[in-house]
Amino acid sequence: MAVYKRGYRRYAGPLTGRWTRFMVLPRYAWSKLYQQRLVLLLTMAAFVWPLLCAIFVYLTNHEELLQGLEPEFRAFIQINGRFFSIFMYVQGASAVFLAALAGPGLVAPDLANNALPLYFSRPLTRWTYALARLTVIVGMLSVVTWIPGLLLFGLQVGLAGGWWFLANWTLGAGVVVGFLLWLLVLGLVAMASSAYVKWRVVAGAVSLAFFFILSGVSTMIDVVFRVTWGHILDPAWAVNQVWSWLLGVDPFEGPGPGASMLALASFILMLVLVIERKLRPVEVVR
Amino acid sequence: MDTTPVVELDNLKVRLGRREILHGITCRLGVSGTGKAVGLLGPNGAGKSTLILTLLGFLRPSAGRARILGMDCRRNMGEARSRIGYMPENDSFIGEMTAVTFLRQMAELSGLPPKPALEKAHEVLFHVGLGEARYRELRTYSLGMKQMAKLAQAIVHGPELVVLDEPTNGLDPAARRRMLKLVADMKEEQGMNVLVCSHLLRDIEQVCDEAVIMKDGAIVHQCNLEQERRSNRHFVELEVTGDDRNLLMALPEIGAEGVSEGGGRWRIVLPAGTEVEAIWGLAAKQNLLVRKLTHRRDTLEEIFLKAMGHLARTPGEVTALDVTRT
Repeated sequence: MAVYKRGYRRYAGPLTGRWTRFMVLPRYAWSKLYQQRLVLLLTMAAFVWPLLCAIFVYLTNHEELLQGLEPEFRAFIQINGRFFSIFMYVQGASAVFLAALAGPGLVAPDLANNALPLYFSRPLTRWTYALARLTVIVGMLSVVTWIPGLLLFGLQVGLAGGWWFLANWTLGAGVVVGFLLWLLVLGLVAMASSAYVKWRVVAGAVSLAFFFILSGVSTMIDVVFRVTWGHILDPAWAVNQVWSWLLGVDPFEGPGPGASMLALASFILMLVLVIERKLRPVEVVR
Repeated sequence: MDTTPVVELDNLKVRLGRREILHGITCRLGVSGTGKAVGLLGPNGAGKSTLILTLLGFLRPSAGRARILGMDCRRNMGEARSRIGYMPENDSFIGEMTAVTFLRQMAELSGLPPKPALEKAHEVLFHVGLGEARYRELRTYSLGMKQMAKLAQAIVHGPELVVLDEPTNGLDPAARRRMLKLVADMKEEQGMNVLVCSHLLRDIEQVCDEAVIMKDGAIVHQCNLEQERRSNRHFVELEVTGDDRNLLMALPEIGAEGVSEGGGRWRIVLPAGTEVEAIWGLAAKQNLLVRKLTHRRDTLEEIFLKAMGHLARTPGEVTALDVTRT
């Protein structure tokens, strides 16, 4: 019977599980996100670098194709920690721009339209809401970060053989863990700027400015005081330092991976507190 | 019959900062079974919204306990929320979504699988009169349409209890009538319990079975409106000209009681089974000219004003709260 003819009756069927409900918000958000041409375009552009890296992996594993090159140069082009750190550096930067583009649509529309009471009057806590919104950005950025990174790693394993995997499995783990750490920072920055700035363009600019300003401030501190610890204020630098440690590459000059991780943990905690203050079903005026 | 009250408050206190908003409220609402509506009345600042927000788990009680559908508002809120629908007072929606997508998402969040959620979204939109506009984005809706969309999202998952905060706010008379009809239909046809928070007494009177009046963070009056309506059926206001000194003595002839308010005005209570025509006969016997004869209803407005202290109580009057207590 047509819907308009049968009238409304209360639903009395089975209910879905907790995790199915949790994924409702990301599902709807992703479908809306990928309707934006700019997001699609930037996502596609972000695949160019992994594609070039894949070609590079292929070439390094086919020595017959590198016959004409100098032996020193052939020795230099290897698939190792440095290769993956360069890959991560470029893809990490692409992720920043994608997060700035997609992030403002996470929480800002819900706050602008006062939709939070509608969400929180359903079986959804503040934390599950925040986690669901974070899943949107982490899921979206995963497609251009650790997933292609892992595919590259798999390609190399496939071409080089099992011995290479046994000797270098930490590189694969490093790519995944390193990217997930970066995505967590990016997601939280995007959410925080989206929670405080309701105008999308400005929210996007704020999340970009967060990284550029902190980078500028940290460089200024280093130059003015002639120190190296100022870098710790730059989350992008700190995450690079952690990546270097994970991939076994020589670290940058400045605070070590331990201090960098501590700095990143502080950033994450600060961002969580900032978001927690804003995600409330009702604004209580005391 | 299920005797679990819809809302049960036990010495509930809520503080916002240093201010105590609710001062130890104790009551049981919606004890008369399913498909009933409870009205929450009170002037601005009485604590109605605070009470609703506490029941929804948005605010934490500083002391006491609140239970909704038998579940504790702090410990079992996840379970309770899947059985509650909430229509907030202010605009609440997701602007860049069509009504049908919005409702489908809300239904899925309440636990409906995607396909039934889509079906229910369509059904409920036709039910509230937004069938033709269901593929339009919510931001393009008029105020009245947004109110209907808010009601639709509150009932799309078929909750046992629907909490409506000022449902007729900003509606024109026709839309208001429609909204009240939908609320009445929710309880009568769908068997949902409804908790309506409003400052409009007529709305409460029209759709509610019970009313709770709040003032300064406390419940000052609780009444069963159905009982009130029944008890007021034989309450008559009479205004006569002529010598009415013997009327008091004559009233027992028809089994009635009355009190003179001076100037020929009388308040008379007729016994059950006695029709108002008996008054006409009595007045004729006493050679009195009836200027006015009305079935006076002790309206909710009067109950409200009495509870607020703006009207004196009739001496010896038994309040509905007293009736409930006995």
